[in-house]
Amino acid sequence: MEALRLANLGKVFGSGHLEVRALDDVSLVINAGDLVALMGPSGSGKTTLLLCVSLILEPTAGTVVFDGETIYQNGWTGVDVRRLRREKIGFVFQSANLIPFLTVRENVLFPLDLVGRKGAAAERRVTELLEYMEVAERAHYLPALLSGGEQQRVAVARALANRPKLILADEPTASLDTVRGKKVMEMLKQIARENQTAVITVTHDARMIEGFDHVYHLKDGRLNNMVSSRYSILFSTDH
Amino acid sequence: MDLAIRDLKLHKGRFLATIIGVGLLFTIVLTMNGLYRGNVHEGTALIAHTGPDLWVVERDRGGPFNEQSSMPEFFHYSVAAVPGVEQASPFIYYPVERQVKGESRRFSIIGYDVFGGLGGPRQLTQGRPIQQAHYEMVAHEKLGVKLGDRIPLGLHTFTVVGLTREAVATDGEPLVYLSLADAQEFLFQRDNQEVRNQRERQRRSLVGGGLTPQEAERLLPLLAPDIHTINAVLVKLAPDADPAYVARHIQDWLYFSVFTTQEEIDLVVRGRLARMSAQLGFFRILLLFVAVVIISLVIYTFTMEKIRSIAVMKLIGAPNRVVIRMILEESLLMTVSSFLFGLLVIHSIADLFPRKILILAPDTLLTFAIALAGGILASVLGIWQVLKTEPAMALGGR
Repeated sequence: MEALRLANLGKVFGSGHLEVRALDDVSLVINAGDLVALMGPSGSGKTTLLLCVSLILEPTAGTVVFDGETIYQNGWTGVDVRRLRREKIGFVFQSANLIPFLTVRENVLFPLDLVGRKGAAAERRVTELLEYMEVAERAHYLPALLSGGEQQRVAVARALANRPKLILADEPTASLDTVRGKKVMEMLKQIARENQTAVITVTHDARMIEGFDHVYHLKDGRLNNMVSSRYSILFSTDH
Repeated sequence: MDLAIRDLKLHKGRFLATIIGVGLLFTIVLTMNGLYRGNVHEGTALIAHTGPDLWVVERDRGGPFNEQSSMPEFFHYSVAAVPGVEQASPFIYYPVERQVKGESRRFSIIGYDVFGGLGGPRQLTQGRPIQQAHYEMVAHEKLGVKLGDRIPLGLHTFTVVGLTREAVATDGEPLVYLSLADAQEFLFQRDNQEVRNQRERQRRSLVGGGLTPQEAERLLPLLAPDIHTINAVLVKLAPDADPAYVARHIQDWLYFSVFTTQEEIDLVVRGRLARMSAQLGFFRILLLFVAVVIISLVIYTFTMEKIRSIAVMKLIGAPNRVVIRMILEESLLMTVSSFLFGLLVIHSIADLFPRKILILAPDTLLTFAIALAGGILASVLGIWQVLKTEPAMALGGR
């Protein structure tokens, strides 16, 4: 089942001689349960693509279809993008970006609260996620008291709270050591398989993408080579 | 989920420090309110407690409290003869500063007809009213004297026979009640040397004007200054008398000015107390403004510190109203807590002030409403920052 389709997506910043083509004719299809890695050097357009897919940044050309709904077709189609982000997209950041004044439990509860899920059912979901991420014993701690790896696991739990169709992970292992980084990646893979959630990960670290379904390489705004399906070899970022 | 409470819990140290700082500012604002009300209360209490139907004073004067009024004592007989007047009593009021128990004290003297006249103290907390024509006094408790104390005033010594606490002078100082004759003597009597000097100056003027020394000597007693002067006549009207008619009659036929008690209170409030009211009002506005600026800055700093969290909230789909509510609640919580702290402080220390601090509920409610509006205003900067924050910031973009 198709989770996300980008067709001829373009994004231009500035105009005239200051024009920068950040995304140029990007097309891809991601199905439910797909694990996708986006790689590329700095300035290649990874973040721009992620912002467009997050429905934060408006493209300048092309089409975005998300979960069967056309969101963008040479302009926003009027769909409530904030509602879509709230209900159908989960985010994992480079640093965990947990809300510092909420406890671990409340951080995971927050997205549920936003969609109106409260009470015992919401509490059960939080407990289930924290147990799944192996941070249940830290439920009443503030994020500042957790290690980097624990914080990132809580961030993944938060991203999963509303059973999203798509998880966007922006270099989720960058602030972790290799062991903890791999563990987070394994969790993302497990989530993709078990929940049929599509996962798009931006990463610089080729060691983290073993077992990914698709690895795309961005250069100068062009998704110019689909390196592999079921990718399982290490490669350099300028490949 | 109440984000504001959770954020403030994390920053409780700074939250408490802000409450104490801003709360003390509110204490000063409430003190200003109380000081003004206290002044009006004290400034008018004597008039209200004396409470005659009419005050008769020197023509075109707003006396005896708002400005000086002076008239011969015997005029109260003329006033008493006006149709509709049941009783007319002479009245003296003037502030002095004298040594009382070895300490220089300011107080005001009231002289009245102690044998049934109007203008005396209505209720005594201790002792009895003045019953002799001379050398007895009733004092306000604030003067710090006790029953039986003997207090030298002018050329004589007075015995404290009663104490009162019902009213103070219009400037907030204690009152001392004397018989009319004692008050007049204390007010106008000069010492012997001054009297001798005055006589000598007058004798020389008369002789220089062509009189013989014997003729001048005979004239001198007639030129002695008259001490039988009063400041006002207090009038009690007959039960069926029309105050306006009686007042017009006194004005037209006796050439005095006449005020009801309410008019006399208005004169004081509009005259002596009006400028102070404006002064305190301006000061209150300034302090409220400072309080709002402080809360704005604190809220703005709080907001800026969690700007990344706000970006995350917006990225994961939190509507603006969720974040705005958090900022607004923090601002209002800070304002309300500070105000309550200020209110608690002023209620604890109001009695320590030398002048009366009268805290009235309507004033407090009005100040609270203004503070609340200020609290909402204070959150504007923070809310503006929230609206400006791009969710992309959470992803490291823009």
